[in-house]
Amino acid sequence: MSELTGKERVQKLFKKEPLDTMPCFSGQGAVVVQAIEEMGTQFAKIHTDARLMAQSAITSARLFNMDGVVIPYDMATVAEAMGRGISLYENADGVIYPTVPNKWKTLDEIDIPKDYMSQGRLPMIDEAFKIIKEEAPDLAVGAWVLGPFTLAGQIMELDILLKGLKKNKDATAAFLDQVTQVTVDMVKHYQELDVDFISVRDMGSGTDLLSPRMWKTLVGPNLKKVFDAITCVPSVNHICGSTDMIIEMMHECGADALSVDQKNNVVTTREKLGNDVLLFGNFDPYNTLTQLEDVKEVEAVIKQCIDNGLDAVWPGCDIWPDIRKENMETYVKTVKEYGKKASPAVGRI
Amino acid sequence: MSNQEEILAALKEAVVEYEEDDCAEAAQRALDEGIDPMVAVMDGLAAGMEEVGVLFDTNEYFVPEVLMCADALYKGLDILRPHITLDADIPKASVVIGSIQGDVHDIGKNLVKMMFDVAGWDVHDLGRDVPLESFVEKQLDVKSDVLAMSAMMTTTMMGMKKVIAMVKEKNPDCLIMLGGAPVTRDVANLFGADGYAESAGNAVSEGIKMIGRLREFQKGDIK
Repeated sequence: MSELTGKERVQKLFKKEPLDTMPCFSGQGAVVVQAIEEMGTQFAKIHTDARLMAQSAITSARLFNMDGVVIPYDMATVAEAMGRGISLYENADGVIYPTVPNKWKTLDEIDIPKDYMSQGRLPMIDEAFKIIKEEAPDLAVGAWVLGPFTLAGQIMELDILLKGLKKNKDATAAFLDQVTQVTVDMVKHYQELDVDFISVRDMGSGTDLLSPRMWKTLVGPNLKKVFDAITCVPSVNHICGSTDMIIEMMHECGADALSVDQKNNVVTTREKLGNDVLLFGNFDPYNTLTQLEDVKEVEAVIKQCIDNGLDAVWPGCDIWPDIRKENMETYVKTVKEYGKKASPAVGRI
Repeated sequence: MSNQEEILAALKEAVVEYEEDDCAEAAQRALDEGIDPMVAVMDGLAAGMEEVGVLFDTNEYFVPEVLMCADALYKGLDILRPHITLDADIPKASVVIGSIQGDVHDIGKNLVKMMFDVAGWDVHDLGRDVPLESFVEKQLDVKSDVLAMSAMMTTTMMGMKKVIAMVKEKNPDCLIMLGGAPVTRDVANLFGADGYAESAGNAVSEGIKMIGRLREFQKGDIK
């Protein structure tokens, strides 16, 4: 039997069909500086040009034998399309991700334009998806969107939003409904682009910030609406930070897989959810891929993730692009070799 | 309960219950009754914030509640602070604080700033998304005792290393404090920083513990 392509491996994973080995891919940003250097470009330029975005994603995956790609790289795309501006840091040294400079400061100011989907960089990102699908048909293509709560924090001041949850409940809930509809529209759009999976990242909603009670009433129901709208492709519910207290509610939102970061106790999570749930995570990307100086330590981190009961080893957040080459190689190699054994939800051929 | 105890308790409760109007009213009563405004800040407002820290550590309060408690504290502080007389022989401590370039998050930074405000420091708040050279320029300009920088995201923390090197080269006595979700104590050590507070959550705990230490210091428990 011929070896599976990365795309086939990822597709089978989501269908829980037997695999040759664990796929190595991510729903978080996985672009690396080695790819950017090989292309002769700069980090600040890969966010605004479809070809550079597509090429940097493909080159990053090819350099390290990853099974898939995910774009875009920054979380400011939708806020920018709504007219909130963009800071690209084109003259700054090193790696700085784009940010949103002009968030709305009160609920009264919010005016989401109807045509946002055709504004800012969103059409360029669609073009980048097209290029990737044409030029790397063997790779799984992932899209990601911000979950409603985190998107709300990108378009209006986070402290006002957080206080509004307590002080101005009805108006804030109505605003979150509005933002949920934006996220629903975005996931429907990416489904039409025929991506291989969609990751919904509500990374600002963990219990580092919100109480489980608040999550249950103001985050969970909106996420459920988003996952209900993803009908044609597999979906992932990713939250970084503290998730132990909300993991069961995350599961009830209806995604095909859950993704958590290094703060989650995966062994306990697996006990709570059972072996049939696809669970991804949960290594610390900065420490593991950038800081560790001995690849044996990297290997140990990845093996521990697999032994703890994960079905795919994902970084807990975006990979910091300035990785140590040998650490990244060890991450992928360990997943593919040590991942030959069955994971809780997915058997092996 | 004496009049002073009652007013201090009212200040404390107003902070814990995030009642801004009650806090302003209690602060005004403290002034009207001739209570030392520094005592009202430390044993009223700061004591309330300490209790908030306990509620936060025990998962009873989360960040929204803490932000509202901080708003209440500032309502009282704005009334009391102009009436605090400073010892002319002791130079006022100062801090330059901000979130680093590429980081538009400032909740953690603002909570740490609150700690310096309570302590009566001169606070030079540069805001967020602050270019690296602005930290250096401001620190050298005002010659602050402390430079406090926050990076909420891993992707922005590398800039801190550059700022520390630039400041330490020109002003080795400046203490550098780092904070933010991705900054670990190891990273702070690696970058050459002198202090560190972890996340917005830990900034709450750490900032409040520092307020607690200030209160002990004021009472003479710490020499």
